[in-house]
Amino acid sequence: MSASPSRAGIGQGRLAAFALPIGTIALLLVGWHVAVVASGSDLFPKPLDVLAGLVELVEKGLLLKYVVASLFRVTWGFGLAVLVGVPLGLVLGWWRPAFLALNPVIQALRPISPIAWIPVAILWFGIADAAPIFLIFLASVFPITVSSMAGVQNMQQVYLRAAQNFGMRGVPLFRRVILPAALPQILTGIRIALGVAWLVVVAAEMIAVNSGLGYLIIDARNAGKRYDLVVAGMVMIGSIGLVLDLLVRRLERIDSVRWGYGQR
Amino acid sequence: MRPLNSVQKLGLGLAAWLALISLLHGGLNLGWWSGKLAGAATQERYRVGFLPVTCHLTCPVTDFINKQTTGHGIFEPVRFSGWPELKEAFLAGYTPATFLLAPMAMALREQGVPIKIVYLGHRDGSAVVVHKDSQIHRMQDLRGKRVAVPNRYSNQRLLIFRALNDAGMTTADIQLVEMPPPDMPAALYAKAVDAISSGEPFMGQAELDGYGRVLWLTKDVWPNFISCVLAVHEDMIENHRETVQELVDGIAKSGKWLDQSMDHRMDAAQFVAKGYYNQHPRLLEFVLSKPPDRVKYTNLSLRRADFEEIEKLGQQAGILKGTARFEDYTDTSFVPDDSVIKAHDWPGLPKEKR
Repeated sequence: MSASPSRAGIGQGRLAAFALPIGTIALLLVGWHVAVVASGSDLFPKPLDVLAGLVELVEKGLLLKYVVASLFRVTWGFGLAVLVGVPLGLVLGWWRPAFLALNPVIQALRPISPIAWIPVAILWFGIADAAPIFLIFLASVFPITVSSMAGVQNMQQVYLRAAQNFGMRGVPLFRRVILPAALPQILTGIRIALGVAWLVVVAAEMIAVNSGLGYLIIDARNAGKRYDLVVAGMVMIGSIGLVLDLLVRRLERIDSVRWGYGQR
Repeated sequence: MRPLNSVQKLGLGLAAWLALISLLHGGLNLGWWSGKLAGAATQERYRVGFLPVTCHLTCPVTDFINKQTTGHGIFEPVRFSGWPELKEAFLAGYTPATFLLAPMAMALREQGVPIKIVYLGHRDGSAVVVHKDSQIHRMQDLRGKRVAVPNRYSNQRLLIFRALNDAGMTTADIQLVEMPPPDMPAALYAKAVDAISSGEPFMGQAELDGYGRVLWLTKDVWPNFISCVLAVHEDMIENHRETVQELVDGIAKSGKWLDQSMDHRMDAAQFVAKGYYNQHPRLLEFVLSKPPDRVKYTNLSLRRADFEEIEKLGQQAGILKGTARFEDYTDTSFVPDDSVIKAHDWPGLPKEKR
């Protein structure tokens, strides 16, 4: 008797976890359709036009190619950003002279849009994959660096003192205390940065690459009245972004990460 | 063996993902295996930049016909999506040859870029289009209206200047806005601007879709109008003269081939729209035929008078200083003798494929 209400609650919770988002999406799609029909626009596509556009892309074998191309660029650009940003942020958070020296530069570079870097990217990296990878790297490295830095700076001093009382120094101190304490904040930064990396894919693919979801959008604008493909590109970018965020959230469930959250 | 902990699993998973996505990209988009298996061309290929507009049509036409007749080419057309990226790739040396706006090439020369115009890409092929519901029927009606042009350095902007001069008006009488040509038809449809002006096929699109009306075609206002030219880096001229000559000859032959018959133009609309521009063939068919002299691909030699007129208007428009002259920004030595050059000897697409 006492268990059944809570079980029903869990069941309801699961149902709500599916029904609410799907209901919202369905409502948005209907609203979109009605809005296009009501406005009488024959330029802006209806949801079904977009679906037809997606089917056309699948039939031409382009959708998989474009998704792979964009994921490839984001994987490398973002991966490099993690490899550079996390260690750099940890050093900056721990060693004050480095922070004093580099922080103003980082804060000055951080607000510059990747679009402004396009000419630089072309001059340095040409017109193949390296240029968009560089742009994605630039967009995502700063959030990661800043959050890793803050993670170290904001860690509870009691951990540090306890560890030092036990005589921990150098690498073990870093690996066993500082890194785990900063990890939740680092992961938050990574999650934000992954969103940003995926966000700039359109801008990054404005360079003369001939594949990718961003390219799909730019190409469709060049192709005359193909706004169905423009929106199809937007839908694909949004859907993959959602999946990516779900994957990164799963990271937060790993044991060595979770203890950091336990303090809250 | 000890079971993997979650961090190790994560690392393995990420490494596997990196390998998978890289291999997929290499296979699907970069042609890693097909190229190597087929014994990829060892010969150096020269990249030629172009945009999906009719002003640059001879570029893909030359490439396609070369592939049909000789099987390969030493030129690799590289399609860009906008003027700035096209220009930057040329400046960075990735495209030693490129189709470019004539005033932009001249301005780059004035700014010290080692660029030479070696041939034209087309003549005519631009228009000013207004909304079909509008009361705009002549240049004077544009007073106080918003007119979209592609780029500060576009010849379409100079075209507006010339039309204003002819109508006794000045730029103070209208409102010029810069806008990427692909966005223009939608802007006109939404009546965000009153008139749009760019190279084809974007003007034809507004007409074809039923909301645009041609105010005038370039051939009516500025006969033999030049929007885009073929420009090369001076290094190419110094070190690869014969390559530049081959490129220019190919463009000249393609131009003759395009203007030889309407069948050829309709073929070009098919293979360029599908293989290079990724547009609907109907669009190119429309702008290449209605009327047939909407855009022309013959008479492409460099004439001093044409460029001096651009210089004059460019100074009036504030984009040129007049410090570079015809001799500075052109190299006429590659221009083939028009009576000698023949159209490509290629009959066109097999009829059943059309």
